[in-house]
Parts: sequence; C-alpha cells; structure tokens
Amino acid sequence: MNNNNPGTKKGLRERLKYLKPFLNAILEPVKIIFQDPLGIAGAIIFSIIVLIAIFAPLLATHNPAVMNERIEGSLIAFSPGGEWQQYRIIGEKPINELVIGSQQVIAAAESGSVIRLQEDDSWLEEEVDAEIDFFAAAVSEEMIIVAGERGRVYFYQDNSWQERHLDEELDIHGLTVSPGGTIYAVGEEGAVFSWQDDSWQRLESGSNRTLKDINFIAEDDAIIVGFRGTIIHYRQGEFSDPQYRSFTDETFRDLNGLHYFSEELAFAVGERGTIMGYDGSEWFAMSSDSSRELRGVAVISPEEAYAVGYRGTIQEYDGENWQTHDRITRRGYRGITTVGETGYIYGVDPYVNELAPPSREHLFGTTHLGRDIWSQVIYGSRTALMVGIIAALMVNLLGFTVGLISGYYRGGVDSFLMRVVDIMYGMPLEPFAIVLVLIFGPGLWIIILAIGLLTWRTNARVIRSQVLSLVERPFIKAARISGASHLRIMLVHIAPNVLPLAFLQLAVAMGYAITAEATLSFLGLGPPRVYSWGTILHAARLSGAWRTAWWWIIPPGVFISATVVSVFLISRAVEVWTNPRLRGGNESAPEPEESQDPLPYERQSN
Amino acid sequence: MGKGQFVTRRILQMLLSYFIILTMLFFVFRLALPDPTAALVMEGLSAEEQAMVRARFGLDQPLLGQYFTYLTNFVQGELGLSFHYRAPVFPILLDRLYNTLALMIPAIIVSYLLGPLLGVFLSWKRGSRSEFAGIIGGLVLRSAPLFWTGMIFIMVFGIWFNIFPTSGMRTLPYEAAHFFDKIFTLDYLWHLFLPMMTIALYYLGLPMLIMRNTMLEVMGEDFIELCQAKGLSERRIMYPHVARNALLPVVTQAAITIGLAVGGQVVVEVVFSWPGLGREIVQAVRTSDFPMAQGAFMMMSGLVLIMNFLADVIYSYLDPRVVYKGGKK
Repeated sequence: MNNNNPGTKKGLRERLKYLKPFLNAILEPVKIIFQDPLGIAGAIIFSIIVLIAIFAPLLATHNPAVMNERIEGSLIAFSPGGEWQQYRIIGEKPINELVIGSQQVIAAAESGSVIRLQEDDSWLEEEVDAEIDFFAAAVSEEMIIVAGERGRVYFYQDNSWQERHLDEELDIHGLTVSPGGTIYAVGEEGAVFSWQDDSWQRLESGSNRTLKDINFIAEDDAIIVGFRGTIIHYRQGEFSDPQYRSFTDETFRDLNGLHYFSEELAFAVGERGTIMGYDGSEWFAMSSDSSRELRGVAVISPEEAYAVGYRGTIQEYDGENWQTHDRITRRGYRGITTVGETGYIYGVDPYVNELAPPSREHLFGTTHLGRDIWSQVIYGSRTALMVGIIAALMVNLLGFTVGLISGYYRGGVDSFLMRVVDIMYGMPLEPFAIVLVLIFGPGLWIIILAIGLLTWRTNARVIRSQVLSLVERPFIKAARISGASHLRIMLVHIAPNVLPLAFLQLAVAMGYAITAEATLSFLGLGPPRVYSWGTILHAARLSGAWRTAWWWIIPPGVFISATVVSVFLISRAVEVWTNPRLRGGNESAPEPEESQDPLPYERQSN
Repeated sequence: MGKGQFVTRRILQMLLSYFIILTMLFFVFRLALPDPTAALVMEGLSAEEQAMVRARFGLDQPLLGQYFTYLTNFVQGELGLSFHYRAPVFPILLDRLYNTLALMIPAIIVSYLLGPLLGVFLSWKRGSRSEFAGIIGGLVLRSAPLFWTGMIFIMVFGIWFNIFPTSGMRTLPYEAAHFFDKIFTLDYLWHLFLPMMTIALYYLGLPMLIMRNTMLEVMGEDFIELCQAKGLSERRIMYPHVARNALLPVVTQAAITIGLAVGGQVVVEVVFSWPGLGREIVQAVRTSDFPMAQGAFMMMSGLVLIMNFLADVIYSYLDPRVVYKGGKK
C-alpha cells in the first residue's frame, strides 16, 4: 500500500508534466495579446461583450419579450367646427373624466390623481388618494368634486381636499352638479346619491345595474345611463322605470356615456359601437360605422356631435347620421367634453409603445410590438457568444484532428482527408445550413451544427501545413527513433507546437461563427423564441418598419461588428507572434478563410 | 507534369467532388422525405398520371434504383418538379443562376480591382495615419455582416435620400426579350449599384490587407534593392515590380473568396429582393419546396466547384511552379 501511493502520485506527476507545454502554448498567446496595443483594444472590447452576456439579466432594463405599454394622461383639444389640436400629454395617469367649469378645468385620473389647468396653460398633477382610481369629476361655482372606487368622494373647498365618502363602498362612475346646485353621484348596484344637508342620501333608482353617467338639462330633468342598456329618466324627483332592451336586441349593451343636450336631443353611447338617440319621446338605436367600444359623447349643436372610444375611434354626427371621423391617434379615449368654445377628448388607455425612438426609458427604442430593443440586444449577446464559442470549439476540434492526422501520416491518409476537405469547400455555408433547416427544422443547434460540420475545412488546411513542416524537424525524427508511438509523437511533440496556431484559429473561427449565426438567424433559420442579433434584424425586416426605424437595425449590427472586430484584433496580435516573418514591424491582419500557406494543399504534396 | 495534365487532373477531382456531394444530397433528402411521392404527386392527378410521375422520377424503384434514376435525371437536367411553382425546377433555376452571376461577378471584380490598388497605396503610406485608418477600415468592413450593410444602404440611399431603388433587378413591369436585354440597360445598373457595393465593400478589405502585407514582404527582397540601384523611380518600383510579385496571394484569396461569395450572396439577394439562386433557396425553405431547395443547392455547389477550378487554372498560369514542380514555394 505504502509503495503504491507514491507510485501513482509519481505517475500522475509524470503525466502532469506533459500538460505543461500545452498550458504554455495556451498562455503564451494571452501574454502576446497584451503586448500589442490593438490586441489590448480587441481584448477590452471582447471582455465587455462577455461581461454584458454574463450580466445580461442585470443590464436588461425590460423583459425583452414583453410588449411595453405607455401609461399617460392626455387630451386633444378641439373647438366646434372640427379644429383639432395636437395630442398632448398632461399627466402620468390616464384621465377618466375631464370637466370644464367656468373658472377651471379639472381632470380626474387613475391612481387618485387630479390634474388641473393652470393659468399659464400648463397642467398640474396632484395626488389626492393613491389607493383608488378616480372615475368621475364635477365642478360648480364653489367647489370641485372627484369620486372613484369604493365610494370615495373628495370635495375641494377652501383650498384643501376634504373627504366626503359614501357610507357604502360602491364605485362611483358618474358625478354631476345639477343646474340648481345639487350634487349627484351614480355608480355600482344602481346607486344614485345626492348631497343634501351635508350628507349623502341614497335615492331609489329602481335598478341594480351599474350606472355610468348622469346628465341634467334642468333642475328637474335628468337622464341616467348604465350597463346592459339601462336608461332612466329622472324627472320631478321621480325615476322612470329603467328601460332595458330585449336580450337579443343590439341595444342590450353597456352604455358608457351620455349627453343630454336638450329636451329633444340626447345621445348615449356604449360598447360595440352602440349609439342610442333620443328625440324627446323615444329612445332608438342609431347605426354607427364602428364596432368598437365608445366611451363618451358630446353634442355641440343639433347638427354636430362627436362620440369617442376604444382605439382612437371618433364618430361624427352631422344632424342625421354617424360617420367615422379620421383617426388622430390609435389610442383609446375615455371621454369627450365640451362647453362653449372649448372641448377636449381625453384619456387614454395604456397603449403598446410601438416603434418608439430611443429615450431614457428605452435606450434603443422599441420594436413594432413595443418590445425593448436594448434588452433584446443585451440578451442577444448571450446567444452570439454561446454559438460562437461552441461552434468555434467544434470547428477547431475537427480541424485540429484532421489537420494533425493528415499532416503527420501524409501519403494516402493525407490525400483522402484533403479530398474530404475539398468536398467541404464545394459546399457554401448558407445554403448548407438552409438545407439542414429544411430537413430538421429551425434551431440554434442546427446552426451550430452547420457551422461546425462545414467550416473546419480551413482549420484543417492551416494546421496540416504547420504539421507538415514540423514533421521534418530533427526533434520529431529523434522521437521516432527513440521508439515513441505515433499517438505520443502527435500529442506530446507536435500538438503543443501547433496549439498557438490553433488558438489563433479559434479566435478566427469564433468571429466567423458569430457572423454566420447572425446571418442564418437573419434568414429566419434560428429558433423563434431566442433573442440573437440576427433574429432582431430578422424581426425588423419582417415587420417592414426597419426602413424608418433606424434604432431597430443599427444596434444589433454594431454589436456584431464590434464583437467580430475584437476577435480579429486578438487573433491579429497572436498571428504576429506565431508568424515570425511578420514580426519586426511588418504587421499582418488575420482573415478567417485565409490559408496560412499561399499555396493550397494539392500543390504542396505529390 | 504538363499544364494539360494538371487541368485534366483538376477537372477529374472536381467531378469526383461533385459526384460525392450529389450522392450525399440524395441520401440526406431521402432521409428527410422517405416518400416524396405524397408531396411530389400533385393534387388532381389521375392514378395513371401519378404512376407516370413516379416512373419519371423512379419512385417506384428500390432506393438504389432511385439513386441511379436521380443521377441519370441530373445529367439530363431533370431536377424534379417544384411544389411551389408547380413547374420543372431546372429552367427556373437556370434563370436565377444568371441573375446571381449578374450580381456576383461585377461585385467580385470591383472588390478585387479596388482592393489590391488600395493595398498598394497602404503599403506606400506605411506607418502613416492613413495606413492605420485603412487597416481598421478594412477590418470593420469585413466584420459588418453583409445583410446589415445592405439594410443600412437601403435605409440611407434608398429611403432617406431616395436616390437608388431598394429592391429587384429592374423597374417593374418589364419584358425582357432575352437575358442580355435584361442586363445591358441603365435601369439594371441602377438597381445593381447598391447590392453590388454591399458585396464589393465586404470583400474589399481582404485583398487590400493581403496586398499590403505581401507588398511589405516583397519590398524587403533583394531584387527591389537592385531596382533602386538601377535608379528606377518609386512609382516604377511600386507598380510593375513589387505589386506584380505581390499579387499571387491575392489571387489565391480570390479563388477562396469566389467560392465563399456564392453562399454569402444569399443574404444580399434576400435583403435586396434580387431574384437569384439564394433568394430562391430561402423561399424554398419557407414553402417546404424540397425539389427546389435540392436543385438550388446542387447548382450553388456546382458553381462553387467551377469557380474554385477556374481560380486554380488561372493561378497555374500566374505561378507555373504549381504545375511543373507541384511542390511548395
């Protein structure tokens, strides 16, 4: 036992001895890189790319697959006659209702925000109750009222917000101040409240459906609309029986908005493009061009009215018919209001932030699906490096083995292997990969396989020519005479001497593999759910938006070029060292498919 | 070994390589599509017609028989029926081949005319800033992927400045009476410019850098000193003496590049919607058009082999040592 242990240890040490030249052969080029300024530049760029790939989840600002939405409170001002102004963002939260008073303009927004128009035409956003969303607002001479979820109501009196909550936790959807100055609120479960004697009084509306809006034309004449086609007239303190349509009728739809213009004219709008008209005695369904949800309606005169809704829909009324008005934006409006000469369309629904140019939020902008390009590019570096490294190792392993065997044995073996290399040179890479994809389906591994199976040809030639010259050296002959086996000569004596060259080829193959992967992914041969620089460009091309969205195509290309240049610079530094003729001022740039020997193999032998 | 012998041997080698590629292609495609009958036989054919199609492509025979039919058909230019076009593959591909060559050859010529000239310039300006800029520029041009450069060119020159067409070979609609009618027009050159420059710039860096390197090596040799002793001007030494001797590695590189260019051009054709072989093979994958993909691959690899062969023959004229000594330089 005691004899055995040192014996195996010694054997191990003996074997480790052979690793030393290999280690040296690998370390030497690394030292060389750092003696060359361009090599250092290459190494730095490459390290940055590697670090980006490693820390991709930290660097990515968004999930690359998520369609990013923009949330904002915005409005479009207009004046009667159809003078539309620019879309304008006034706050961070979507506006649910905007009211125009004689003194002020107030918007109630989500997350308990209230936005007020200042005297200098700017808007001031104020957070009143962050726990809930405000759905409704009303304004009278003395005060501002906003209300929203869970029965929360705030009065703005004496320069401060005061809580005037309901007793019940019902969402309030509509608020109004009647011409006589009474405040009314409508909401869930048929709730109608009026503010009397400093407290909320619930009125029996006769309905238990959600009520959305209430509108007065006189102190004793109002209309309330709500879900499932509910329309209630409130006259002289009496609620009419709620009108519901038959279940199959197209008007059995949720009504969202109402404008009670005069005794002979009122419109109510709702989901799926529903527009209900009122002529003083009857409600009737009107045909509209749109099948999208309408959220609000505003009547300017009996000959002019507008209804707005989902996805930027604007319907225009000319006194007889409703027609689609040209879209100003594609965003979902939540309502429209008008008083006298001013009017606003307001909202908007959160929308997909598509094709946004670079900004602080999205460093490289967004795609046509609102995906963050910066994050995609960052994750793409992982794919590029993974494919680059695996494919380069595969290429090098194959090329090294073939080159070593071919150069060492020469003769028939050499001829045969070089004929194989010849055949490989007869197949172009991209079509070869395309055929593989056609047969096996798209995937990252197919791309790696295509690169690995085909491009070792160059490595084999380069390694072979080096081995050919080594074999004639005296130390190999000496090894042969001393009785070393072929395997031993190849692995122990020749391989370490060829390794620097192999290292160079590794860098070159990596640059080539990264380009090839990008190319094949660009052709749509990559896996669909993996981000790589090539697939980003593929998506850009497919969408057709790349012709204008420069921020979509420039970053991936710059990253590819930077990575490949860095690898070229590194291999160039190594080449200067491995090729003594290039030392001493004469520098050389390495090339992926450049044969080390100016003469291709078939002219060397025979 | 004489020149004729060399060429003959090279042709035989090429044919052998091609034969092996064809064989591999056959078995790979049979592996993917064990019974091409189902896909190949078009809908609405009667039983007899189906049988006829099977017999025509030898699909009623055992695998080995099919293989021989495949080879015979190939020699006769019978590459099967395209699933997508519902027409024979070969005439379609022949047309695409001309289009591919009409783009590739001008591009390679431009890059191998400009590249070495720039290389001479760089070696002349050795150690200066313009040399450094040239080297970095060459590296960057070679690193930027072809399809990306193409997209940028389209965006800048086609969309922003709107001075070049962004796709196709000719302004549609047009009727070309024959191939030469198609390419000898101003309109064609107009369409050719952007894709050609995309390819040419990509391949330009390599001959430029190689030319520079070998120029520097040749400039160190004795006969240059002799030229200087004879009192020849710098220009006389640079171009006829140094450059001529430095051209060999560039030609070698050209041989390899031309082979690679066939595959590399695929993306350029896709980006510029150039109706060539590359675009056809990508389309064939999208439509699962097996015979078309197979035929296009055959044609492309044949093209690569022929290009490599031609380059070797040209090389043998430039450097007779290859033929006579058959040995290393």
